Amino acid sequence: MSICASLSSRPGLDAEIQAETPRARVSTSTESPPRTDPPPVGAWAAIGGTSAVLAACGGAAAGSDGVNLAQGLKFQTAKLAPALTFTPARQRDATKLQVSTAPTTLTAEVFMTFVEGALSTQFPGPQTSVTAITDGIHYVYRYYPLGNGAYNFLAVTSDNKVYALGALTGDVLTQYGVLSDYFCTVYPQSCPATSVGPANATEAARFLTQATLGANKSDITALQSSSYAGWIDAQFVIPQAQSHFDWLKAKGFSDPSFSNSYAGLDNSIWRKLIGGNDPLRQKVTLALSEILVASAEGIAIRWRAFAVANYLDLLESNAFGNFRTLLEKVSLSPAMGVYLTYSGNVKANAVTGSQPDENYGRELMQLFTVGLQLLNPDGSLQLKNGAPEETYTQADVSGMARVWTGWALDTSGYVGPYGIDTVARPLVQVASRYETGSKTFLGVTIPAGTSAAQSLQIALDTVFNHPNTGPFICKQLIQRMVTSNPSSAYVSRIAAVFANNASGVRGDLKAVVKALLLDTEARNMANVSSSSFGKLREPIARFVNWARAYKATSASDAWSVGDLSDPASRLGQSPMRSTSVFNFFRPGYVPPGSELSRQSFQAPEFQITSESSIAGYMNFMQKVISGASLSDLKPDYSSVLALTADTTALLNELNLVFASNQIPQSTLDTLKTALDTIAVTTDSGKNNRMYAAILLVMAAPAYIAQK
Amino acid sequence: MQHFKSIAPDSASRRAFLKRGTALSLAASATPWALSLAAMGEAAAATADDYKALVCVFLYGGNDYANTLVPYDQMNYDLYKGFRSNIALDRTSLAATVLSPSVALPNGRQYALAPGLAPLIPIFDAGRMSVILNVGTLVQPTTKAQYTGQSVPLPPKLFSHNDQQSFWQASSSEGASSGWGGRMGDLYAAGNGNATFTCVNVSGNAVYLTGNSAVQYQVTPAGSVPVSGIKSSLFGSAACSTALKNLVIAPSTQLFESEYARVAKRSIDANDILTAALATTSLATSFPDNELATQLTLVARMISARQALGAKRQVFMVSLGGFDTHSALTATHPVLMSKLGSSLAAFHQAMIDLGVSDSVTTFTGTDFGRTLLSNNDGSDHGWGSMQFVLGGAVKGQSFVGTPPAVANNGVDDVGQGRLLPTTSVDQLGSTLANWFGVSATDQAMVLPNLDHYSIKNLGFMA
Repeated sequence: MSICASLSSRPGLDAEIQAETPRARVSTSTESPPRTDPPPVGAWAAIGGTSAVLAACGGAAAGSDGVNLAQGLKFQTAKLAPALTFTPARQRDATKLQVSTAPTTLTAEVFMTFVEGALSTQFPGPQTSVTAITDGIHYVYRYYPLGNGAYNFLAVTSDNKVYALGALTGDVLTQYGVLSDYFCTVYPQSCPATSVGPANATEAARFLTQATLGANKSDITALQSSSYAGWIDAQFVIPQAQSHFDWLKAKGFSDPSFSNSYAGLDNSIWRKLIGGNDPLRQKVTLALSEILVASAEGIAIRWRAFAVANYLDLLESNAFGNFRTLLEKVSLSPAMGVYLTYSGNVKANAVTGSQPDENYGRELMQLFTVGLQLLNPDGSLQLKNGAPEETYTQADVSGMARVWTGWALDTSGYVGPYGIDTVARPLVQVASRYETGSKTFLGVTIPAGTSAAQSLQIALDTVFNHPNTGPFICKQLIQRMVTSNPSSAYVSRIAAVFANNASGVRGDLKAVVKALLLDTEARNMANVSSSSFGKLREPIARFVNWARAYKATSASDAWSVGDLSDPASRLGQSPMRSTSVFNFFRPGYVPPGSELSRQSFQAPEFQITSESSIAGYMNFMQKVISGASLSDLKPDYSSVLALTADTTALLNELNLVFASNQIPQSTLDTLKTALDTIAVTTDSGKNNRMYAAILLVMAAPAYIAQK
Repeated sequence: MQHFKSIAPDSASRRAFLKRGTALSLAASATPWALSLAAMGEAAAATADDYKALVCVFLYGGNDYANTLVPYDQMNYDLYKGFRSNIALDRTSLAATVLSPSVALPNGRQYALAPGLAPLIPIFDAGRMSVILNVGTLVQPTTKAQYTGQSVPLPPKLFSHNDQQSFWQASSSEGASSGWGGRMGDLYAAGNGNATFTCVNVSGNAVYLTGNSAVQYQVTPAGSVPVSGIKSSLFGSAACSTALKNLVIAPSTQLFESEYARVAKRSIDANDILTAALATTSLATSFPDNELATQLTLVARMISARQALGAKRQVFMVSLGGFDTHSALTATHPVLMSKLGSSLAAFHQAMIDLGVSDSVTTFTGTDFGRTLLSNNDGSDHGWGSMQFVLGGAVKGQSFVGTPPAVANNGVDDVGQGRLLPTTSVDQLGSTLANWFGVSATDQAMVLPNLDHYSIKNLGFMA
């Protein structure tokens, strides 16, 4: 009672809270309207009244102001906000916490105590924790009276989500990330890279090459005054731009004349890859689209563009989420259901002898999760008597296939041709087609009679929790972003983060992405001069590098870049247009007869590097650079055009922006001599020198191989 | 490389060199293409004065054998129909494509081609086409009991697309460094006027055409692609054009840069030669308009330009995709069969028109066969399949191998009608290699599992 009675003042936001703080209320649900006075303390009520604070405050308040005690916290409708941030001074203060040495996880108790130190105005401590349950969600919270009727609550759920409610949030229940977001803040000694930033422009450009599909000069300059971790954290909270699905709709592609067409799809994809202000999310999304492949080349259904758009949207939305969640979204997506043919899959029929379609059962295991052979935690093959062991057998495939029966597009509400919303709805069950018998795979048996929804959960939990999945997926993410041949120690470190994000959560892609970019192997500048570190830039990346370097944009918002799959005249690669579920290239591809092969190095992108595609790329870029192609997609060359009179400065700029200064000086000298033969006394001369310089830099093997 | 032609070391020394070449390569890492040229020179004993070409038509995705070569005698048709009632072809639709072999199959067995393959019937009847029954990937002859008891080595990762494609093409699962087409190319590259055109892939990249030293040349159906900035001045500057060429082919100690430059150099060099050679050709035969036919058209044009290219022995690869018919089989498979039938027939006619029919042999391959049993509207990954061999040198109008029982978990399948192959890809390859001129000892190198078969030559080539 005394706590409640002492409520006095309600301070404004602490200036040290750097995060965007939600002020606007979100109309979310059937809950009673948001209010500020009296405080909705009852909203914190736990069913069963396990809370001491509630007993003292909320309970009493509820009786007088009508707050529904039983309602509890509506976690499902909470607003999302960036993680809280703290100034370095506060961080130091907070590290006075009595903690064990070399902690690996952050607990809710330590976190809340840390916050009391770091944000003492909003969360004046010490307060004690209270455990509670609302709608089956377990959490602990602390209550902080601020005086004058104001207060804040801080809560952490059993799945490590951090919430606040009160003056800080405008009385809207708000999630501020998860515990792992704060690990390095609380334990900086466990995260030595946290505060490290680029020593110079070269290092900044190199980082951005790994983390994005292209940076411009000002991106590089900006990173130089930040830390890598700070840049990554900032990327995590950039709101997603208009979805592909919504853009297609807004642009009129929902007209029935487009129902059997991919019109608009490539446009929207290039719009985001080129124009997105969330480059890390776009990079990871493209990487995921090349691992969890559902290609537009094999989804010939009504509203196919929208189906692929929805699929890419879900990859994008979950790129910084949890891999388990992503697997479920993928598995229930109409695009994947159609692409790997389990939408419409029918259980075995004893009369006709027909068997369930095994397509998804197989590829889910082979390509999306566990892979073919048992792996060590560092990604290397487990050997038994010197030979690799297969992860599963045909019997496992047949057993797993039974899980993927009964699923179908959700066309409910339509008689006749279905509408575009159908291809964005999760697949649904048709009970008559579902195999209700038992299902055995990977050492797990789902008992007969288990529901389809439950079987799906068990199947996805099984592959998600398989020890192979972490190293199998993490190695590929490293290959997509940093290097084709990560050391086993590097894979091991990232797979460990996949297994546990430091808050006990498995499959946290945010933590994985951050760890693989901050890893010493990625950041070590000595690797630039290694003969084998790095990767071939995929053609999509090279083209987007150009577009982003000079902020190419489509004035009409049409983004008419099109399908760039033709190797003879374009890139030989276009997003979401792989020819099969095996992607444009396999992660283990080794170019035959090469020195890479003799030294046993993998180089996936070489699988689409041929006599034809090399020539096609140069021809395409020559047209693109000089504006002879791509409709109204136009770059802003003004900054680089100003350098054309000084060829050395011109080449230095291009070498930094495109190649992280990895083109050697001797090559630049040769290029300068050639470029100087183009007189720049006229505007067309200036343009020609600039065009030639950009093409030469983008054709240089030292650019194409990203170190 | 002319002087290498006179060198004719025996097979043993060639093998020794190829091993030595690998060791040398590790030491001389900075000059991969120079070494390859040397390797090709010394390894090339299998010189030839005549011309022969093999054309591999790969059906990506795993062709549904049961709707490609359909049991037609009433008893087996009824079994077939029973196992896949909802995806089976009507027997009446097959009457025009029943195959009439010169020697009838035992036990009254009869087969009909898919209706879309009708253009192949005249070729079969003319004795220029054979059908290989139940052929697939094996390490050694394998019985059902051995399969069930796992008492003999099996191709790893059966039923997996990428791995069985690789095993079909290379006798090893994904990650294989060379295929049997490429290994044949190793033997003949130096005998060709230009080694680059020994192994030619018109459908992208495949391990099949990769040799130990022979390099797969990837070309588009329209021919090679010139680099416009090298063919003519770059934004008005000849100096920049020269700089571009030197830049992209410059050797490097960085392995990714080095390999990129190696492919770029091959692209630029080969384009000059091929463009000139193709300009001298004209092809009278008309081809259908589909993606397989356009690839085969380019193969025909290159064969017609064989003298300008200095080619004596060539291995080509083309492909058709879309065979992974888990669903909608009855809608998609007939279309694929029509493309295959019309394209193969046109190519066969082109070879006749060019007067090289006896010198060119075309054969099909695929990831794997599929299940006989339906999954309601398609079929799933299987193992053994049915393949075709065409050409003037084929002793045709025949079935090769053993007709498999039409069954579910019967004597010839490992469940759901996944055929346990009774003929191996190695035997198919050996028969073709023998015709190509590859000696028995070299065949053991080209097809490493061949020694496991007492019968190596299936006898379908003249």
